[in-house]
Amino acid sequence: MRIVCPFCGERELGEFTYLGDAKPVRPAAGASEDEVFDYVYLRDNVAGDTSEYWYHGGGCRAWLKVTRNTLTHEISAVEPAAGVGARQAAR
Amino acid sequence: MAEFSWVSRSPLEHALVAGAHGARGGEAGVSLTEIRNFDLIQVMARRGKAVDLANAAKERFGVAAPDAPKAVQAQDATLIWSGPDQFFVLSRGGKHRIGALGQTFAQSASLSDQSHARVLISISGAKARTMLAKLSSIDLHPAAFPVGMAAATSMDHTSVTLWRGNDRTDGQAVFNLLVFATFAESLWHSILDSAAEYGVDIKHSEEL
Repeated sequence: MRIVCPFCGERELGEFTYLGDAKPVRPAAGASEDEVFDYVYLRDNVAGDTSEYWYHGGGCRAWLKVTRNTLTHEISAVEPAAGVGARQAAR
Repeated sequence: MAEFSWVSRSPLEHALVAGAHGARGGEAGVSLTEIRNFDLIQVMARRGKAVDLANAAKERFGVAAPDAPKAVQAQDATLIWSGPDQFFVLSRGGKHRIGALGQTFAQSASLSDQSHARVLISISGAKARTMLAKLSSIDLHPAAFPVGMAAATSMDHTSVTLWRGNDRTDGQAVFNLLVFATFAESLWHSILDSAAEYGVDIKHSEEL
């Protein structure tokens, strides 16, 4: 599997580290126990396109948001995660 | 308190043995030169300050700092891309040390002195690409990796900054490699193992 880093170009999987699902959003401070439990522990086991965080630690050290199909491993989109760089990739 | 002074020495002090290594007979296929005593500063834009950093760099160096994986030659420094909105300033002679650059980039960037934190290895020779192909997944064909191209990548599970410098006077390509000081000896041995079959000419220099 290869990932096209928006900063470096196409690179082998060995340069990247997988973090996990990019969907969960941290609940507000006053959220219920159920909402926090869901955020911390519960993950969807999607058959199809998922959004996930990958770290290009063996390259430019940028966090990336990758859209990957869990059935085919096809990667349809890669974008810098929020806050990467002092400005987002222009390309 | 005891009086003493720090003596800086290369992390490859013991590993690097100048002279011939590997296959003998005929010209060495790979030349390895460790460059010592350089100044290397990492410059990273602060949040929202990328444009200010670009302007400050242009003013100081007379050339635009790289905003893509490239190495840009200024009059007395090389600016090497190392990630989004960040680059290295490689120089020698003390003109671009952290004190001076700190003033230039006081409003736009955070700096980190890497002069003694990295080892710089210059690789050339007729078999340089063939040898590097054993260690790197980057396409180093002249069409894909021309002079001035750079890459932040991994070799032998070690993060490196690789860029193509100006060709040697005999026309052969030169690949420069920056590696973390504590990983340098390990990578050096991997390079020697990969290059041994082509014959290696080893030396060190203070010329960038």
